Amino acid sequence: MSVNQYLPHVLVLPEDDANSQLANGFTLDVSTRQIQVLEPAGGWMKVLECFESDHVRAMQSCTPRYMVLLIDFDGVPGRLNVAKNFIPDHLTDRVFVLGVWTEPEKLRADLGSYETIGMALAKDCREETDTTWGHDLLRHNAAEIDRLRDRVRPFLFHL
Amino acid sequence: MIRRLYVNNFRCLQNFELPLAGQSSVLLIGKNGSGKTAVGLALEILQRIARGTNRVDDLAKPKDLWRTDAPLRFEIEVELQGKIYEYVIAFECLAGFKELRVLEERLAVGGEPVYTREAAQVHLARIGLEPEREGRFRIDWHLVALPIVQEQSPVDPLSIFKRWLARLVILRPVPSLITGDSGRETLEPNLQVTDFAAWFSGLVAYAPAAYGKIDQYLKQVMPDLKDIKNPVIGKDSRNLVVQFANGQGTVSIPFEDLSDGEKCFMICAMVLAANHSYGPLVCFWDEPDNYLALDEVGHFVLALRRAFQSGGQFIATSHNPEAIRRFSDENTLLLYRKSHLEPTIVRPLSELQVSGDLVGALIRGDVEP
Repeated sequence: MSVNQYLPHVLVLPEDDANSQLANGFTLDVSTRQIQVLEPAGGWMKVLECFESDHVRAMQSCTPRYMVLLIDFDGVPGRLNVAKNFIPDHLTDRVFVLGVWTEPEKLRADLGSYETIGMALAKDCREETDTTWGHDLLRHNAAEIDRLRDRVRPFLFHL
Repeated sequence: MIRRLYVNNFRCLQNFELPLAGQSSVLLIGKNGSGKTAVGLALEILQRIARGTNRVDDLAKPKDLWRTDAPLRFEIEVELQGKIYEYVIAFECLAGFKELRVLEERLAVGGEPVYTREAAQVHLARIGLEPEREGRFRIDWHLVALPIVQEQSPVDPLSIFKRWLARLVILRPVPSLITGDSGRETLEPNLQVTDFAAWFSGLVAYAPAAYGKIDQYLKQVMPDLKDIKNPVIGKDSRNLVVQFANGQGTVSIPFEDLSDGEKCFMICAMVLAANHSYGPLVCFWDEPDNYLALDEVGHFVLALRRAFQSGGQFIATSHNPEAIRRFSDENTLLLYRKSHLEPTIVRPLSELQVSGDLVGALIRGDVEP
């Protein structure tokens, strides 16, 4: 990994191209190599399966690693719990499940290109605002975002 | 920043317009032979004009024309210091002649001509001068006027445009040919960056603080980098040496002995520092992912994209999945040709229907306009 294994870092595992482009926008606003977007998994369940098969063991040996699982919720209230069930107890502090309540295309129709949205989300994180995270299609992430901010804000934004 | 690049009758670029307005970074994708490199060659002709090549035969040959019975035409529109500059040059190929000649040439700022030219007749229209002080002169049809029209001052629109165009950075590096030797200084690296050391010397001499930018980027990529030294080794010649250090000690490596990928990190650092020091620049990098380890490609591309967000423009071509994924629909352009008998067409990815993953669709050959 080019992300320094010995420094805290975030790996983003997106569901598809749309989520990958949201993550691109976020990383464009972050002046560090301590975040890396992985290959899209090809579906929300595949994100979870890929996390379980490829990343759980690696995270056990690489303690400075955090992961964001970027999935579409498709308007399903129980999806967060389904996703959380894939995360072993000893990793819950370092794994976060985020995504658009329905699908990113609807968010794009409201807010502009995926990259623009991703940059706005990073700005919110840096400045501790919820201008974009407070959007109807994103505000269900509030609890996960609070956890994420506590842990990754200092090293992603050099605060 | 380039707002518009129009090329007609040059290789596979026929009535071709690259939509670049408002984009700080753009990726050109497409199959082999689709015309991505031809875009770089078109920019290179304009860059070489601004760098002083004025003999038409040294810029383009009749074989570069799609059809010899029509003019070869380049039009570039750029925004510099809040003003719109437009430069147009057209060449023609007369039956029985082996050499192209200038048919038309024009530089305008904000819609006002700086000079216009038809065939041999050049008309200088100095902005703000009385009509009787405007100049006319004739020039050999086989010479381009831009390099030889006298500049009035460094803030003359002609100077501003020529300097910007000359500093257009077009990169297709061949790391194995890059050494640490320099006998001069430049701010205008060549295509293969074989004059890397002269560029380094020129940049650090022009803006010593640029070394800080170079160092900052390189230490992220190579944390054990200590410094880069450029000692004098003879009359007017220098040689780059890169020093690495960690708790175990220090090692000095001649620049030419760095790996190909490490030399590309150095070039990237120079691009970032140059854009900061004497930009905003436009950088066209043909396959920036070449020579890089897979885990570095994304960081490399994002570092360039990030840096050009605050000024200038980064244009890349790529076939690399990781490089392609670090761009998005709105800044990815597909170049496409049905056959060698048809010209290139260009479409923003955002206007195409791609089912599923883009890289997967490219691998299947399913991405078509």
